[in-house]
Amino acid sequence: MIDFHTHPLLVREMIKKYPELAATARELFAIGNNFQPLETFHLQMEVAGISRAVLLPIDASRTKGRKIYSNEQIAELCRMSKRFIGFASVDPLKKSAARDLENAVKKLKLRGLKLSPGTQEFYPNDTKVFPVYEKAQELGIPILFHAGMSWEPGVKAKFGQPIHFEDVAAAFPKLNIVLAHFAWPWVMEAVMLALKYPNVNIDTSCLYFDNPVDFISFVMTRQVPLTVIERSLRKQIVFGSNYPRVEIKNMVKAVQSVGLSEGCLELVFKENARRLLGEVSR
Amino acid sequence: MKIKLEKLEVQTRKDQELVDITSEVERVVRESGVKNGVVNILTMHTSSGIIVTEGLPCLEMDVLNKLGELAPDQGNYYHNRYLDIDGRLGFNAGAHLRAMLSGYNAFFPVEDGKIVKGSRQRVYFAEFDGPLARTCCIQVIGE
Repeated sequence: MIDFHTHPLLVREMIKKYPELAATARELFAIGNNFQPLETFHLQMEVAGISRAVLLPIDASRTKGRKIYSNEQIAELCRMSKRFIGFASVDPLKKSAARDLENAVKKLKLRGLKLSPGTQEFYPNDTKVFPVYEKAQELGIPILFHAGMSWEPGVKAKFGQPIHFEDVAAAFPKLNIVLAHFAWPWVMEAVMLALKYPNVNIDTSCLYFDNPVDFISFVMTRQVPLTVIERSLRKQIVFGSNYPRVEIKNMVKAVQSVGLSEGCLELVFKENARRLLGEVSR
Repeated sequence: MKIKLEKLEVQTRKDQELVDITSEVERVVRESGVKNGVVNILTMHTSSGIIVTEGLPCLEMDVLNKLGELAPDQGNYYHNRYLDIDGRLGFNAGAHLRAMLSGYNAFFPVEDGKIVKGSRQRVYFAEFDGPLARTCCIQVIGE
């Protein structure tokens, strides 16, 4: 099984080597948990039955004055563990953005792009950022967008409203995009896009109140009927935990217990991620 | 009077487990040089505990199972909410409650440089929300 949405914010080995990452985790990402050895990350995956995890950075250098992990640091972590799949992040409004992305993919072997419109303060349908999408489409990599509400201090949800992604999905039909966090609270709006555009995918990494089991049940059975996922979007929903905001084990349990068929769970936990990563064809 | 404090890191490997730390406690006592006094063992976390029981795998399972029944993960807990100090939701009230039931510390006398305890007694670090790298304090006080 693959976790398509994790942030390596608490890895102690990286904090020791790059002390500024501690302040980034605390102040920018606002995560307060203790820093942990890399072994804990692996064990968290193991107890959850996850074999590989996507690591996500955010280039917030223009808006926040720092990066939540650089592409080089993500690549360094990937060299420490074959179980990690590294994504890149670039500032999409920077002139060199497309070139930066190409370097991250070709030189650092990163396998996708993470953009966070709220943190990076851009609207996804701003044509000024389209060169980055063109480059991602050319490279054949997916873009995972933060969508919906963010816990990050000072980050506005408005940038990540799903409707802003429609122009992207329509203009770049061969570009796979993933709307993270079920785009909560705009779940139906995200589902609307995924129903119409086969290149729009949604990840499950959402938890905003109650607990993972109750919240995922609320989102996937009450905000939208579970049948829409089982019947229409089974190939476009991908499992993500948002670790360390949530332990992977808890999100796995929540999604596994929501009532999807075995076949659908196989797609959500494994095959859809593999397709997005280019490991299998659709 | 000698006072020695060691902060022992315990890497737990499961969601819930009992890790036998008796030999580590004995080592700290031995290395402290204290001949007569006391040793205190404390966890530094609120979702883990310190337990003393017989060192049998069946009992270890029974302890965890019963505590899980008394304080399950799923429940109508007020802790199921966003905690701004952590930047995330709580939702592990069950683990906190199990930790309270288990207790956060243990105490033994030290005599002639050795822990005074029953032959069946083992000291466990009890993980209720792992796996995590945890810290356990072992303090020896005496002469």
